[in-house]
Amino acid sequence: MRLEMGTFPVTDIAFDGSTRWEAGRLTVDRDAVLAAVREDPRIASAELEIARPGESVRIWPVRDVIEPRVKVQGPGVCYPGVCGRDIATVGEGRTHRLAGLGVAEVSSVNWHDAGGDFVETYLDMSGHYADMYPYRRLLTLCLVVEPDATLGEEIKNYAVHKAALTVADRLAESVRGLTPPEREVFELGPVNPALPRVIYIWCVHSPQAMSGSPTAFGTATYGLTQLTPPWYLHPNEILDGALTGPYRTAFAMSWTVANNPLLLDLYRRHGKDWNFLGVISLRTEWTTQTEKQLMANQTAKLARLLGAQGAVVTWDAGGNEFIEVVRSIQACERLGIKTVFLTSEDDATDGAPTMLEPLPEADAIVSTSFFKNVTLGVPPAPAVARVIGLPTKQIRRGSTIGLHGGADAMLPTAGPLPAPWRYDDHYGFGSLSCIE
Amino acid sequence: MDARPLRVVCYVNQYFGTLGGEDRAGLGPQAMEGAVGSARAVQQALGEAGTVVATLACGDNYAAEQPERAVAELVRLVAAAGPDLVIAGPAFLAGRYGVACGALCAAVQAELKIPAVTGMHAENPGVELYRRQVHIVSTGGEAARMGDEARRLVALGLTLARGETPGAPAVEGYFPRGVTRNVVTAASAAERATAMLLDKLAGRPFASEVPRPAFPAVPAPRLVKTLEGATIALVTDGGLVPRGNPDGVEPLNATRYGAYSIEGKTGLDAAQYDNPHRGYDTSWVKQDPHRLVPVDVARELEQQGAIGKLHETVYSTVGVATTLAHSARMGREIADKLREAGVDAVILTST
Repeated sequence: MRLEMGTFPVTDIAFDGSTRWEAGRLTVDRDAVLAAVREDPRIASAELEIARPGESVRIWPVRDVIEPRVKVQGPGVCYPGVCGRDIATVGEGRTHRLAGLGVAEVSSVNWHDAGGDFVETYLDMSGHYADMYPYRRLLTLCLVVEPDATLGEEIKNYAVHKAALTVADRLAESVRGLTPPEREVFELGPVNPALPRVIYIWCVHSPQAMSGSPTAFGTATYGLTQLTPPWYLHPNEILDGALTGPYRTAFAMSWTVANNPLLLDLYRRHGKDWNFLGVISLRTEWTTQTEKQLMANQTAKLARLLGAQGAVVTWDAGGNEFIEVVRSIQACERLGIKTVFLTSEDDATDGAPTMLEPLPEADAIVSTSFFKNVTLGVPPAPAVARVIGLPTKQIRRGSTIGLHGGADAMLPTAGPLPAPWRYDDHYGFGSLSCIE
Repeated sequence: MDARPLRVVCYVNQYFGTLGGEDRAGLGPQAMEGAVGSARAVQQALGEAGTVVATLACGDNYAAEQPERAVAELVRLVAAAGPDLVIAGPAFLAGRYGVACGALCAAVQAELKIPAVTGMHAENPGVELYRRQVHIVSTGGEAARMGDEARRLVALGLTLARGETPGAPAVEGYFPRGVTRNVVTAASAAERATAMLLDKLAGRPFASEVPRPAFPAVPAPRLVKTLEGATIALVTDGGLVPRGNPDGVEPLNATRYGAYSIEGKTGLDAAQYDNPHRGYDTSWVKQDPHRLVPVDVARELEQQGAIGKLHETVYSTVGVATTLAHSARMGREIADKLREAGVDAVILTST
């Protein structure tokens, strides 16, 4: 598979006339884009707003952030399978992307109605809280969208996410016929056979267990979100959006998946430091120990059959999902595959181990520090001049306010706000670590 | 800068205080002027930086048999000497001595707000008991290198006395305290991961950023009775609570659990229960609590005589993002209560 990625950096954005990109300036025909969104009868309201890096602005609730990408040559479409899109295998030909730009999906729609799993993420464009995220550097076009309130949760999810993709598509279309100022060819070509063979085991959460539904919205592989055995993906498929967010944290958005620095680093060292074999994508939150162990065994088996001698492992969840992740590491090591695990850490109160199941085989760990904002010591995000989205935010007991206690409270979004309870830099964007 | 030499108080046992051997192990706490016994090595290591103003000594048995009283008396002696730093031991492999050193250092820090440091061998029981609270320098098993080890205690003690944060445990030579803190590194985590993989593949040394924890295995106990004679309790971390959640069990990061009577109940009425758990789809349990806490079937088994008795209290908490420290505490408390009530076995339903 050979994929040529054409990058169009966006350095300025404005609502103006037609939707087009010229020398870094993106103009957006607001009425035309919104008309395309409102073509879907399930959409009750939709507005577009711009948030710029450094502005005193807060976006709430953020369900996803999408980087506009468009397939220019080759089969399929970018972000395949999501909300009914074509499922042709992607990863070949040419793709154009708008870099430095995010389309934020802003809506009150929750992931599902089974309870216990809430959209908690908000984003700031300035201040200490903003500085913790890569979005701080993005020009962000926010689609504030609400669906017909009478619809079921799954249809609402489908409708608002499709709307955000519609906006991203409209923007990406503007560079389809242009010559990209930056190009990079991604290809796993033949390399020196002496180089070690390395695979990326990328564990992504499935909402199936939490929601009770195999079609619940969330992290998707070609649009599928259910619990599935490990997938083998060419990294080009991921660059074309075959793996997408979002999940609970700001680091599990479609934008962070498409821009995963670890994937790109592994890829760019292909032929120099190692032979990069691609990605095994393992679904997590299986419900029984047997299933968890089976997935771990199968992941390691697949890695071995692919010839892997080394593996980097990441995950995007917390809690019981850890078991299939760390057991995969154990299974790999037992097959002689040398692993490095990139993960956040849990609370170390009273010197407790910070890994849920600390197995001796997981002997090479890179820590992105604590995943709880309370343990990280993140102070409340400051008051802001402008809010995009909802004017109030519910702060839930036992989560966002402190570790234990407090009560559910409805706070003005513009005011100082406790950070969402999870941080969790799944793919190593930041430079935080944690030492004694 | 204040150049006044530090006032240091040392703590030793009867042996290292040259007061006698095992025959004097019952000796109560006492204060001696200046550096006595092994405290002289501390004075030597201090040099101009400080003066050992007093050496406190206590017999090993006295300290082990009435630890609270011994520590209270020693803390009073420390307070009277008014030091800037307390150096206890080193205790090497001496168990009673090591535990007393750890206890005294912990108490001095907590009650007098005076920095304290001790030293002992990795296998001294004082390490596991006090390493989280106290900086314990790792020493050999015997006093053969007393001068060297006193120097390391003093170096760490001086750092603490200056109010500075010591370097990493591996660098400074003390046992990891499990006190972690955030740092910003030069490279992103992604870059560090690929660098670590390159090292590991090439067989070069690499440093994992998460130490291998001591995580004791918990063997499943054997039931020593037959089920027909056993009292069985139902315990869950799946979050079942009476409607209104009277104990305020948190929806995640739980620190509380509830004890709920099922006396006189042959089953659980869904209308009387609720579930705050945020880690799974609770709708099925709300619809029928027996899916989580099978009181109905357990009562039947009790009636049939298949089990001796169903314990009349159900314990319930929320197991999601619960810290290990709170999990261990709640588990201990529940187990103590079950044991006290004569429960023989537990069916623990987890979600």
